[in-house]
Amino acid sequence: MKETLLHDKQVALGAKMVDFAGWHMPVQFTSIIEEHKNVRQNVGLFDVSHMGEVFVSGKDTLAFLNKLVPQEIGKLYDSKAVYCQLPNKKGGLIDDLIVYKLEDNKYLLIVNASRIDEDVNWFVRNSLEFKDLYIDNQSHNYSLLAIQGPKAINVMEKLGYTGHQDFFTIKKMTLADVEVYVSRTGYTGEDGYEVMMKNADAQMLWDKILEVGKEFSILPIGLGARDTLRLESALHLYGNDLTEDTTPIEAGLSWSIPKDKPEDYNGKEVIMAQIANGVDKKLIGIKMATRAVPRHECEVYFNGEKVGHVTSGGFAPSLNETIALCYVKNIKEICTGASVQVMIREKLQDAVVVKRPFVQKHNSEKK
Amino acid sequence: MSNTENMLCSKTHEYVLSEDGKNYTIGLTDYAIEQLGDIVFLELPEVGASFNKGDVFATVESVKAASEIYMPISGTITEINENAVDAPETLNENNYEQGWLVKVEFTGNEIELSELLEYNDYIEEVQ
Repeated sequence: MKETLLHDKQVALGAKMVDFAGWHMPVQFTSIIEEHKNVRQNVGLFDVSHMGEVFVSGKDTLAFLNKLVPQEIGKLYDSKAVYCQLPNKKGGLIDDLIVYKLEDNKYLLIVNASRIDEDVNWFVRNSLEFKDLYIDNQSHNYSLLAIQGPKAINVMEKLGYTGHQDFFTIKKMTLADVEVYVSRTGYTGEDGYEVMMKNADAQMLWDKILEVGKEFSILPIGLGARDTLRLESALHLYGNDLTEDTTPIEAGLSWSIPKDKPEDYNGKEVIMAQIANGVDKKLIGIKMATRAVPRHECEVYFNGEKVGHVTSGGFAPSLNETIALCYVKNIKEICTGASVQVMIREKLQDAVVVKRPFVQKHNSEKK
Repeated sequence: MSNTENMLCSKTHEYVLSEDGKNYTIGLTDYAIEQLGDIVFLELPEVGASFNKGDVFATVESVKAASEIYMPISGTITEINENAVDAPETLNENNYEQGWLVKVEFTGNEIELSELLEYNDYIEEVQ
């Protein structure tokens, strides 16, 4: 199993380790609920080094990226990032990712750990028509740390961060005497930063962040709380909420897709038709009447009819309630406030459809 | 953990405690609780329900996963821990005095008890 450079440090901190996408990663250090609340109230440090970093450069990069994603990459200014999807020809999603424009003809793509190989294969398959293009998968050379929460800025300043940067921008800088990329992004719904560094600097920075963060009550955070944080913020998890069988429109990601992008891209025909004509299934958020936990694949019922299934569900520590994301048939009556039921251990449990995100976000990316 | 001395544990991580050899309190061992992490939901049986040793009688949901809980001995439910149903985190805080699951009237035989482990042997076995 693969390990990040911080694996041994995490074990020494008492982390419970689990297999995640072929990586031996911490699921929790103390308690998922405590770690979750600490990110909402103070600040947390996440090792997300298992994620993939792919640099794409060359004069054809813009045209290449525009073919891959529904978003308008040409509208990015230097340092600007955008949340994107990677549709196949049928509009199903190979992955979701963040595309960062570093400078003209040079972009950074951060992709899900479980999809690095599929993504890179897809990039290569789509690259044949482009002559001046260099796809450089640097996933094995870089580590990635996320500092998330209302006090993330305080921790950054203690590391020597002096600049201000807007949400969804990236900057190359020196932090704690080493070269890093800092982006104001994350996957928790909180304000925060992601710091990408060469592997050689990862252990030093991990220790340093925990040390300077002490006065701000920083805690190392495992994948368990990463999951509850993103679920409360209704951020999709690839493999659960997004798959090759779901389009971004079905997934409720229409907000991220420009309706008038001139360039052709993979899956455009299907995606545009769905925007115009509607979809057969849709993603909804539900809140359970009890604390019974709807897990992945639990069936969802409406008026006695099976209408779909849960893709992500769990206890929401900030709400002290149990919530889930589900795909259901696109029935008009299944709207906010509607009653639905979820089959949990052969019993139907009551739930109500609620707005997403389940908790208010504290970063300014408008959805 | 004052009671571990008199406690018997199953390899499936339930403990039983009895003062009179007839009525038993059943709960989850501290080792099991630690593995489960934060507990958020309990599904307990009805009072009066009867179970054989090894039957699933309860479900415990932690933030991480749902786990089925097995009867460590045969018995009829005489009481369920309503407080723990209302506040499942009680199990994380104190799994013996306050965070037990059910009380049963023992309907099994001595062999069932002899198959259980004393707390210290159990801890040695699972670690």
